[in-house]
Amino acid sequence: LCRNNNNMASQGLDYDGCNLLRQRLVLSTLSGKRVKIKNIRSKDDEPGLRDFEASFIRLLDKVTNGSRIEINQTGTVLFYQPGLLYGGTVEHDCNTQRSIGYYLEALLMLAPFMKNSLKATLRGVTNDLVDPTVDLLKSTALPLMKKFGIDGEGFDLKVVKRGMAPGGGGEVVFTCPVRRTIRPVQLTEPGKIKRIRGVAYSLRVSPQMANRIVESARAVLNQFLPDIYIYTDHMKGANSGKSPGFGLTLVAETLNGSFLSAEMSSTPQGQGDPVLPEDLGRNCAKLLLEEIYRGGCVDSTNQSLALLLMTLGQQDVSKVLLGPLSPYTIEFLRHIRDFFQIMFKIEVQKPPEDERKGGDKVLMTCVGIGYSNINKSLK
Amino acid sequence: MEPLHQQKHSGPKAERKKLKKQGGSTEEDERKRNPRAFAVQSAVRMAKMFHRSQDIKTKKHHIPLVDRTPVEPPPVVIVVVGPPKVGKSTLIRCLIKNFTRQKLGDVCGPVTIVSGKKRRLTFMECNNDINTMIDLAKVADLVLMLIDASFGFEMETFEFLNICQVHGSPRIMGVLTHLDSFKNNKALRKTKKNLKHRFWTEVYQGAKLFYLSGMVYDEYQSQEVKNLGRFISVMKFRPLVWQTSHPYVLVDRMEDLTDPERLRTDPKCDRTVSLYGYLRGTYLKNKGQVHVPGVGDFQVADVNFLPDPCPLPDAQKKRALNEKERLLYAPMAGVGGVVYDKDAVYIDLPANHVNQQVCALQPTTELVQSLIDAHSTLDAKMAASKVSLFKTVQPLWKDNLHKKASEAFQRQQEAAPNLRKLVYGSVVEADDSEEVEEELGGLFRVSHPQKKKRVIANYVDCSRFNPDTSHNWDLEEMLSSIRDCFVTGKWEEDQDAAALLKEDEKLFGEFEDLETGEVHQGLAEEDAVHDAEDSLVKVDLEEVQKKKRLEKKRRLKERFDAEYDDGDATYFDDLKEEMQKQAEVNRAEFKDEDDETRVQYEGFRPGMYIRLEISSVPCEFVINFDPHYPIIIGGLGSSEGNIGYLQMRLKKHRWYERILKTRDPLILSLGWRRFQTIPLYHIEDHNGRHRLLKYTPQHMHCGASIWGPITPQGTGFLAVQSVAGMKANFRIAATGVILDLDKSVIVMKKLKLIGYPYKIFKNTCFVKGMFNTVLEVAKFEGASVRTVSGVRGQIKKALSAPPGSYRATFEDRLLMSDIVFLRSWYPVSVPQLYNPVTSLLLPVGQKDSWGGMRTLGQLKHDLGIRSKPSMDSLYKPVTRAQRHFNPLHIPKELQKALPFKSKPKQQQCKGKTPRDLQRPSVIREPYERKVAALLHALSTVHNHKRKKAHMVQHGKHKEFLQQKEKQEEAKMRRQKEARKKLYRVMGQMEQKKHRSSLKGAPQDV
Repeated sequence: LCRNNNNMASQGLDYDGCNLLRQRLVLSTLSGKRVKIKNIRSKDDEPGLRDFEASFIRLLDKVTNGSRIEINQTGTVLFYQPGLLYGGTVEHDCNTQRSIGYYLEALLMLAPFMKNSLKATLRGVTNDLVDPTVDLLKSTALPLMKKFGIDGEGFDLKVVKRGMAPGGGGEVVFTCPVRRTIRPVQLTEPGKIKRIRGVAYSLRVSPQMANRIVESARAVLNQFLPDIYIYTDHMKGANSGKSPGFGLTLVAETLNGSFLSAEMSSTPQGQGDPVLPEDLGRNCAKLLLEEIYRGGCVDSTNQSLALLLMTLGQQDVSKVLLGPLSPYTIEFLRHIRDFFQIMFKIEVQKPPEDERKGGDKVLMTCVGIGYSNINKSLK
Repeated sequence: MEPLHQQKHSGPKAERKKLKKQGGSTEEDERKRNPRAFAVQSAVRMAKMFHRSQDIKTKKHHIPLVDRTPVEPPPVVIVVVGPPKVGKSTLIRCLIKNFTRQKLGDVCGPVTIVSGKKRRLTFMECNNDINTMIDLAKVADLVLMLIDASFGFEMETFEFLNICQVHGSPRIMGVLTHLDSFKNNKALRKTKKNLKHRFWTEVYQGAKLFYLSGMVYDEYQSQEVKNLGRFISVMKFRPLVWQTSHPYVLVDRMEDLTDPERLRTDPKCDRTVSLYGYLRGTYLKNKGQVHVPGVGDFQVADVNFLPDPCPLPDAQKKRALNEKERLLYAPMAGVGGVVYDKDAVYIDLPANHVNQQVCALQPTTELVQSLIDAHSTLDAKMAASKVSLFKTVQPLWKDNLHKKASEAFQRQQEAAPNLRKLVYGSVVEADDSEEVEEELGGLFRVSHPQKKKRVIANYVDCSRFNPDTSHNWDLEEMLSSIRDCFVTGKWEEDQDAAALLKEDEKLFGEFEDLETGEVHQGLAEEDAVHDAEDSLVKVDLEEVQKKKRLEKKRRLKERFDAEYDDGDATYFDDLKEEMQKQAEVNRAEFKDEDDETRVQYEGFRPGMYIRLEISSVPCEFVINFDPHYPIIIGGLGSSEGNIGYLQMRLKKHRWYERILKTRDPLILSLGWRRFQTIPLYHIEDHNGRHRLLKYTPQHMHCGASIWGPITPQGTGFLAVQSVAGMKANFRIAATGVILDLDKSVIVMKKLKLIGYPYKIFKNTCFVKGMFNTVLEVAKFEGASVRTVSGVRGQIKKALSAPPGSYRATFEDRLLMSDIVFLRSWYPVSVPQLYNPVTSLLLPVGQKDSWGGMRTLGQLKHDLGIRSKPSMDSLYKPVTRAQRHFNPLHIPKELQKALPFKSKPKQQQCKGKTPRDLQRPSVIREPYERKVAALLHALSTVHNHKRKKAHMVQHGKHKEFLQQKEKQEEAKMRRQKEARKKLYRVMGQMEQKKHRSSLKGAPQDV
């Protein structure tokens, strides 16, 4: 990989395995460094990239211009030479093996740095058990990005149709304006939780399901706070996708405007044990309590997004208080060091004895690299 | 200067002056004393004055930026520029002598000195190679522009000024030398003035121009040098966009680290070098990508920071530097340990105070030293990391849950300090995964399949964080552990509403009810009373109370400030304050950490003396090293190491004599880089299409597209056609700015396809010669075509007969002599040439002879090729055959219907009367001739008589008219006289009447 790029300094990075593919490709696109990923399920019975990964790569190809993607015959080696982020209007049929959240998480990271503001229509599974659902991202990732100065009229995530796994058939529209620079943040005080909101949705099942979920979730949460409102969202007809199911997303908002969330959805039709809506509501509420126990200014699913935006900020100190780092975030931190040579200062903050505010918190501090959106054209 | 007049010591004037000195009378006072003088005279003028002052105020506003200047800034780079023999080296030598009391022999390479308690300077001489000028303009903080007053400005000076303008103007100060060559004082003054004004137009009005009057023993006058030094040491510099957003190093020392054995076997092998210098600009990350102008792009192998070879004095309260603190560091010039010769490097360990502690060290020693440093920290880390991360966890039981919870807490407690290690591993040997492999018998390698890693590698890619299974949220303890996270929980002391209310009560509780006259005592008073009693008992409490009081005061002040100050705070003020806060956070965050860890978090910060190791540098860089040429290491941003298409706005420089041709190679200076590329010039049509231009416009901007390094938008660039040799003319061909970056580019070229009609039926026409095949025509079906004379038409269908011919219809009948053309647009691709100017790799003495790709014109000139013009393009005398038109034929039926005016006229026009119709002339007989002559004579006489009589008659009539006029006149006179008489009488009568009426009136009363 040495010095074959037309006398330029840019070097490539090598990785192994299919895990963290999104992180690697997203960071590669943002940093302009090419990546080569080898041994993708090479020891597996079905070696190579899965359909959903191929679909993700195709989406990446749609939003960029001039990317070079090479995959070997068996699909075990992927070479990616990033192009420039182009944006514009993009339509993509996401593979139903993973939910739209899988694709959307990457788009959230890329969208502010495109040439034209992005309008992406994604079709597929909106809610499933594996990935953060679109409702969760809408209620937590978007307000988080607003803190970094990514704001404005066209910043929206709209759930047009819902679709549960395995059939899918949902549709979301994500629009995001472009920014030249990202503002540094000091999110050290999460503040106290003032309200809890949520969405209980039910598709192709009795509308009563949603009410049952709400009932049981409230029973758990009412011990802490009176201000709880859980919307019921029962979609009908064409808007309800292809498979039945139901679920709940809960979001706790603090006084300082940070959002902690938890979610749960029913097991896909024909896979695993069926769940009772009461159990689902109760368990989801407990998950929210767990998330609150972890605490921090950013919830556990969006840790990596917050850290990325801090890295890409101006050359100023950014601080954010997180709960315990998730394994995914730890890998993301390592990747950030590989791609941007940025290391975070990680300080563990122990809560005082007399305070009942959950577990240890982690204060992440870094100096941004002074990233400026080179794709945005100057007229 | 002595006062020209005598100062008053007594009297009112002296007293007034005394008062003024004491600060007695201020403007305010005057306003009070003489209000009328300050009253509004004219509202319009007042408004105008107000507008003007506001305009001036607003002009001073800039978008506030976070102040990122380092606490200990790197030395200021002072570049000394000027034509040859103007006195650059002499000036540097004099300035160094002025600051450090040392003499420097040959000035080569950067020379760093300590000039004051808070400032260091790096001097660099700039020769007249355009490569050097471009490179140094990018790193300069201050430019000393030397001008030979006896000669005036030279082209290099203007070129350098233009280069500076393009790459963000540093401070520019002019220095006039050779002023002693003027014998005549008046001529000197005149020249000074002329040069000054010319300099002002180039830089800005009022730019500083310094005069060095003459030489004393081959040195400038010490007083003048001292003044110049003072100017330099108090000068302020503005931050330049490119410089503040990129790290860079002006290299002052270079070492070749290549293995000598490899060198012996292969003298041309790629070298590993270490480069030293102060880091400037912004933070530099280890393992980043850099560009060395004149050499190329590199990945930095390693970066270390070294002790400062030229440190600022320790903070002490004294005015001047002592002799030991006046340091000088110039390894390339032989001061500071290393002397460069043509074929050897001498290391010198000087005994004098200059630079004792530094840089006699070989790189190897430094390495050892850094290792020693690292070891101590490693040990500490090892000690801390003794505790194993993964304890075997016993199964969960409900009865020992409490124990479990405490255990888990313990575990987390212990794991905490290692979080950093968990994430990043031990940072010192971060990337030694290959070291795991051990050699077996020197032949085979034992491969340890990293099982755990493999498992992680093929895990499901998911961002969800699964909850801790040990937490049971049915238990009351768990629930109570997060109670305070909610607004319903317990609040902190400083945020609790109840506590705050109480506090307020204390502060503002004291008031008097005006209606009842009741006085409410505040709680504070009571507290104070209690405190007084307590203080007798406990001394400690007093401290607490004092603190509380201070706190109270602070709160009060805060509230007061909030109420009264924030009233007219504008958006601008808020923004400024925000930036200020950010700057404080930036400064404070890593202040207490040691450099070793700090460097890992924020990178190497500007002001550090660093050593960069770069591998695989071409051997010519070392072999042909010339310390007179600057080596600059420019750090690149995250995407700037890539290549792509750039769209730019370009304008030919108005001093460059020729216009630039599309596809002629051009050398661009953009960002850190200098490179040759092939631009395509284009201009945007009103429909947004980029139309290719053959040449740049004369006095207008145009677009240009190149294949080159990705550089942020808004970056300026300049273009030269060649960097080789010296030229009398202005060398900067064009300047511009980057507008857009892309991986593809759409520039369209206009293409006209020409065809000829070969059959014409009314408005339909068969055209041949435009296309070659039926398929081609099929692609253009429906396209609009036009003839030269402007008749429009459309392509209908391909014809089979001559391949490529088609049927087209037109709005009018074509002629066989017409030419049909089709206007189309053809996308042009930008040639992918990126050829970095590797001027530093050239042999010593030939560094300004970099050739690069030649233009077509140069190639033809060099090879003696003269292109044969096409015969059609030559100008020849035009010979046009007379055109013959057939007469217009109008059918009879139509003729009948036409009005007379339009009817063809059958009648012949009246020409010569035919012979038979002509009358014969009459020839008279002699008798008849006589009669005619007589008659003629008689009539002549008669005519004469009549004329005479008429004359007489005319005279008489004239006389009569005169007479009549006289009479008329006399009559008029008489009448006038009579009228006058009459009016007089009438007036008298009137008067009489009036008078009598005046007299009569009082008689009536």
